[in-house]
Order: sequence, then structure tokens, then C-alpha cells
Amino acid sequence: MSNMDLKVLRHKVENINTLPTVPGVLKRLSVVIEKPRITLVEISAFIANDPALTTKVLKMVNSAIYGFPGRIASVSHATMLLGLNIIKGLLLGVSVFELMQKAMSGLYEHSLACAIASRVIAQKKGLKEPEEVSVAGLLHDIGKVILTLEFPTEYQAAMNEAQGKSISIFDAEKNQFNATHANVGSWLAEKWHFPRNLIEVIECHHRPALAKNAPLETAIVHMADLLVRARGFGFAGEIFVPEVNAIAYELLNLSSSDIKDVLREMEDNMESAEDIS
Amino acid sequence: MPKIPVSKLEPGMKLAKPVTAKSGMVMLGEGTELTATWIERIQDMGITNVFVAGPPIQTISKEEALDNLNTRFSHVEGKPYMNVIKKIVKEHIEGLYE
Repeated sequence: MSNMDLKVLRHKVENINTLPTVPGVLKRLSVVIEKPRITLVEISAFIANDPALTTKVLKMVNSAIYGFPGRIASVSHATMLLGLNIIKGLLLGVSVFELMQKAMSGLYEHSLACAIASRVIAQKKGLKEPEEVSVAGLLHDIGKVILTLEFPTEYQAAMNEAQGKSISIFDAEKNQFNATHANVGSWLAEKWHFPRNLIEVIECHHRPALAKNAPLETAIVHMADLLVRARGFGFAGEIFVPEVNAIAYELLNLSSSDIKDVLREMEDNMESAEDIS
Repeated sequence: MPKIPVSKLEPGMKLAKPVTAKSGMVMLGEGTELTATWIERIQDMGITNVFVAGPPIQTISKEEALDNLNTRFSHVEGKPYMNVIKKIVKEHIEGLYE
């Protein structure tokens, strides 16, 4: 398995919506968001036509992950407020939640906590669109969902290897697939015409020094991921905290009170955020 | 802000989050002080948990929480910046038990 061909792997990932285990809503969604010129109105109509999806989207935009003041009651309001790029990411997020939980118990909590932490750090750093970073935090491990869906046996082997040899899941994936969840996630994000910054964050969240277009956003998600593991929320493949990337840490230059605020916001909001699915 | 089962509600508790119907409609607003009547209505709504105001309830002991923290950081002891991060997280966890 370790000599898995990258091209074959990528092809399989890009055609993930032909898998029978992928739920219908995600298949329909992928058809809609793969269109290069989708409009806000089309997306809005797509959501509004699906009552379950509408409820999920509204719960999500009204949750601590975004932290908008006041209540957003309609899908059209939500799409106008968030814009095309964020709503696309959010739709993917809510549609893969159940899959996340099936793929890896705890990945859903890990991703939610990471979305919250990313938003708080983005706000501390004065980014113009903290919601965009929060979506990146929510989706940074999407590759893990895809890998477990497409290759359940091999991924289980990678998880066992990570645990048995006390190595990171990232390295175990490399041994097993010749690629990591970061690569896989970015291929899918590219295929779905996600914004360039989001693709880069997904691709580089383990190696933030490689980020060219969005070094700050990537550093934020890298740090958020690490703090979530440090606090012990959820599960993302192994229990150990990885080493922080020094360049990212220095770029963010968070004070200890900043980090405490991030932890506190996660703590306060995790229980209510878990209600979203 | 603990989430507690509807059966454990007591008069005088305050809602930390609105109680909503499945459709998202708000039935009781945030900050409502619960009376015996409200609790009965909530129980009749068929929901399982509500959020009440107050400090979060920890499910494991402080010693256990700190042991887990040490395990999580066992691969990165002494690496650059990691001790700083660990110290902050440790203080945060200790704060949850005060």
C-alpha cells in the first residue's frame, strides 16, 4: 500500500461523490459548488430547498463559531452576510459533520473547537474577515474524512501505526498513502473552487512555513489546531500535541493572556457548539 | 454554562441559552429564571437538555486532567515554546476547578 500511486489517489479523491457511502446532500452540494460561476442567489436557493440543510446552516451561523451579534433568521440574510466563499465552506462543513463523527470519533469536536480558536486568534490579530479563518479551521482536517471514506482499511492501519509506533498521524498517513490528509483536503478544495487562501491553509496547516499567499491565516489554524490538542478537546488521530512551528509561533506573537482568552472562549462555547449537528 | 438534562432542572435556575423548538423558534429567552411552571412546559416540549447559567461541570478530577495534560505533551517536553504553551494550558485547566 505504501507505494500507492499519487495520480490514482488524487483521481479517487476528486471523484469522491461517486462513492455510495457519501450522503445524498453532499453529492448534490458538490454538483452545485463545483460550478465555477455559481451565484449567491443559486446557493441561497439550494439551501432553502432543503429544510434539514437550512436548519443546520442557521444553527451554524448563529453559533459561537461565528460570534455574530443578534440572530440571523433567514438563509438569504446569512448568505448576504457571509458571502460566497464563506458560505461554500460552511455548507461543506455542515454536510460532512455526520461523516466526521463516523470517520473518526472526536474529529467533529476537534474541528469545531479549531474553528472557534481560529476565529478568536484572527480577531486578536485584527484580520478583516475572521469568519474566513474560522471556516478554514473548521475544514482543515477534511482530508481525514475523505481518506477514511475512500480507504477505511488503510486509514485504520495508519491510525494503528500512529498509536503503535507513537508517531503522528500525519507521518503514518505518509507511510500508508504517500500523501497526507493535508494534500487530500487541498485537492478537494481546489476541485471545488475554494478560495486560494483556504486551499493553502488546508495544504499547509502542518507546515505553516510553506504558506506563500496566506502565511498569517495558515499560522492561525496551525496554532488553533495545536491549542485544541493541548486542551484535549476531541480527537484528530492521535492524542499527542505536536511541536509548534517556530516561524508560525513568532509570526503570531500571541501573549499568554491572548492564549488564555482563546482557551477560555473554546471552553465557554464548546458545549453549545456541539449542538449544531 | 453547563448543559443539563431537563429532569434535573430546578426552580430558580437561569437559562444560559434560549430554549428553542425544532424549527428554531425561541420558546423561552436567554436569562429566563425558571419556575415550576416553566420547567413543566420544557419537560412537555420533548427536548432532552438545556443550558443553564453557572460554572461548567467537570467530568474528571483535577489530578486526572493534569495527568492527561502531561501525557499529551510527553512528546514535546523541552521543545522550543512548548513549555510556555503547556504552562498556560495547565493554568487554564487548574482554573476550571476553582
